[in-house]
Amino acid sequence: MLYLILFLLLTASSNLFANERYNDPDGCFSCHALSGLQYIDKQGILRDASIEQSHYYSSLHGSVPCKDCHRKIRYYPHKEENGQVNCADSCHVNEPSIGEAFSHKEIVKEFSDSSHGTGASKGFTGANRLAEDDRSKSPSCRRCHSNSAYIEPFQMEKFKEAFQHTDTECGNCHQGEAWRNQLSGHILRRFIGARWKKSDSNKLCNDCHADRSEMQKVELKNPENDSKHPADYRWQHASESYAKSLHSRILVNGDENGASCIDCHAPDSHTSEIKGFRHGIYNALDAKSATHRENLMQTCGQSNCHEFSKNSSNQGFVNTDLHSLDQLALSDYSLDALIDPERLQSNWYRAFLILGFISLFFILGQIIQFIFYRNNPGKDPIFGSNRFKNIMLGRPQKKKSFKRENAKTNAKRNFNRGK
Amino acid sequence: MFINKIITIPKMQKWRYFSIVLGCLAFIGPIAFLPQLAGGDDMCGGLCMRRFYLYYPGMTIQDLWTHMSVAFVGVFLFFMIIAVTFFNGRLWCSYVCPVGGMTELGSRLLNDRWKIEFRSLPQIPIRYGYFAVFVLVMPMLGISACTFCNFITVPRLVETFMGEYRGLVFIISSVGLVNLALLFLFGFFANKGRAYCQFLCPIGAVDGVVNRVGAHFRYTHHIRVEQNRCSGCKLCAEKCMCGAIKMVNQIAVVDQYSCMSCHECADVCDWNAIELTTGSRNKNPKRVRKNIDIYPEPNWQSILKIKPKAKGKKKIKTKPAKDAKL
Repeated sequence: MLYLILFLLLTASSNLFANERYNDPDGCFSCHALSGLQYIDKQGILRDASIEQSHYYSSLHGSVPCKDCHRKIRYYPHKEENGQVNCADSCHVNEPSIGEAFSHKEIVKEFSDSSHGTGASKGFTGANRLAEDDRSKSPSCRRCHSNSAYIEPFQMEKFKEAFQHTDTECGNCHQGEAWRNQLSGHILRRFIGARWKKSDSNKLCNDCHADRSEMQKVELKNPENDSKHPADYRWQHASESYAKSLHSRILVNGDENGASCIDCHAPDSHTSEIKGFRHGIYNALDAKSATHRENLMQTCGQSNCHEFSKNSSNQGFVNTDLHSLDQLALSDYSLDALIDPERLQSNWYRAFLILGFISLFFILGQIIQFIFYRNNPGKDPIFGSNRFKNIMLGRPQKKKSFKRENAKTNAKRNFNRGK
Repeated sequence: MFINKIITIPKMQKWRYFSIVLGCLAFIGPIAFLPQLAGGDDMCGGLCMRRFYLYYPGMTIQDLWTHMSVAFVGVFLFFMIIAVTFFNGRLWCSYVCPVGGMTELGSRLLNDRWKIEFRSLPQIPIRYGYFAVFVLVMPMLGISACTFCNFITVPRLVETFMGEYRGLVFIISSVGLVNLALLFLFGFFANKGRAYCQFLCPIGAVDGVVNRVGAHFRYTHHIRVEQNRCSGCKLCAEKCMCGAIKMVNQIAVVDQYSCMSCHECADVCDWNAIELTTGSRNKNPKRVRKNIDIYPEPNWQSILKIKPKAKGKKKIKTKPAKDAKL
């Protein structure tokens, strides 16, 4: 009986919370919930300002009133520019450990300092919607923390089939519409946590970095002298060369012992400046970067990784080339890259030139043997057979072509005699 | 002609080739039965048998455990191989291993003339020298252990012939090309095709040590020589694909570090002087005690210690070697 009461209480309270999420004190949805709320902006582009109510409610921020973030909007009608949101603002939630208002400030600071940071200031105005954000060079918060569904729309039918879910049946277990919508709906994503595999966060990086035609256009900033230069060959192929490394191959096999992109480029904490919100990705030449020469020992030696790398005799190990171009297929090389002296200096190339030449010699030999001397039984190998006979068989080698010479001289003799 | 060649193969060797073909089918190619059980479709990752024992300075047991857990199937297989080797000789290497086996079969199809004879090289120093480099120096210098790995190259080569894009991508990278050249030089163009196994394979190196240790015991199956029967005909040494048999004083002496227990020497021996067998089980038979040892029991010895003489013929020992070790 007691349990029943407890259960009832719990379900009642959960319903309460669920109800609480459905508030719209500012009344924004009286307009924005209407479908087809469209307008043409100053640039002459047709924009859609309608917000699907259930999507918003089921997002991570679903219980937050609109005006908490869109602060500049006071009255109706409002200007389009005032819709801008600053993720670094403090918000309504009190962090229990500090007792202060929670804010994304630290993360935004870390992010805006990083290489990707130039895109962060763009905010979330109506003039900067997701469709354009996909095509922009620098990512904003929203580029990665998108509102995509846990179960992709095209897989929803399959999911329902696999779990024998129909629309009505979902509600049997997942009671409360808010809960249900979270599953199929839209959530601002966090990428670290039990739900997320490392390969998921890699996919995020690869969305941009695996696209070589886009990566060729990127200009890199040299942190030492602040000069800008176009991305080099190595940088353009970073995603491909990573895929060849063991770090990636282990992850692809479904083993979480591998290392994702951000495991090395934005680890938990590697310097005192960066507190490890996993947004601080820098150019490797930057002293702040986790992949800087000085910091590598710390980065590789993270807990659960190669802790032995902190040992001073592992200097070479720490500087292992994890984006080695030698693993990439030669077919990808453009003519410029092939002639590039830096690439020709690779020891692998040199080794191949020597070994390849020798093996070509044997291949040709085999072909010649096969075509012209096909019926001859196999003789001794051309290299090392004497040594083999001397050492392993313990007998001195007979004189070469002894028999043949004999035969020749005999033939001559007979010939002369006959004459 | 080709059929004649096949007919002359000893029966046991036919079975061995067949077993290698089965091994190739199980591990590589379109089926890749075992790797798929391990979660991948090649012999890397979960099935890697050679990476986990690399030593990094400052490494703890925890690190070793992590390395082992990444490649759990490979580690299991590795210890299975070692256990089999201890009791029955290197059966994995000679009967199953798809990587060495494929190069061996390929090499046997080719003409002997255009090959390199690796078998007379000092095998033990080269193999264990490279093994030390592989285990200690390469990790410290940060050279990936995967770069010289035949366990990648052979599956990728097969994939390439199957028309799979991924195999081609590896083969035509500069690392892949070096590996391919090594595969040709140490595999297909090496006489009997086992040079890579003998010199560069770390599993083979560990296996060799275990084989040598196992050969110490009388109850294990290893290639053993009955020296009183050996006529010194050298056939076994010529046929041995590993170069493990050396004629010392016209007696075949088996180097247990290099021997793969492929049984070919036993197949070609007309005198039943070399065999994959245990040592004599009865240490002290009754008839010896009674001094009526007319037909002496064969004294199978895995480790022969015979000092080479500069010149001279083999002394025929009339009395059975009682003091010999095994």
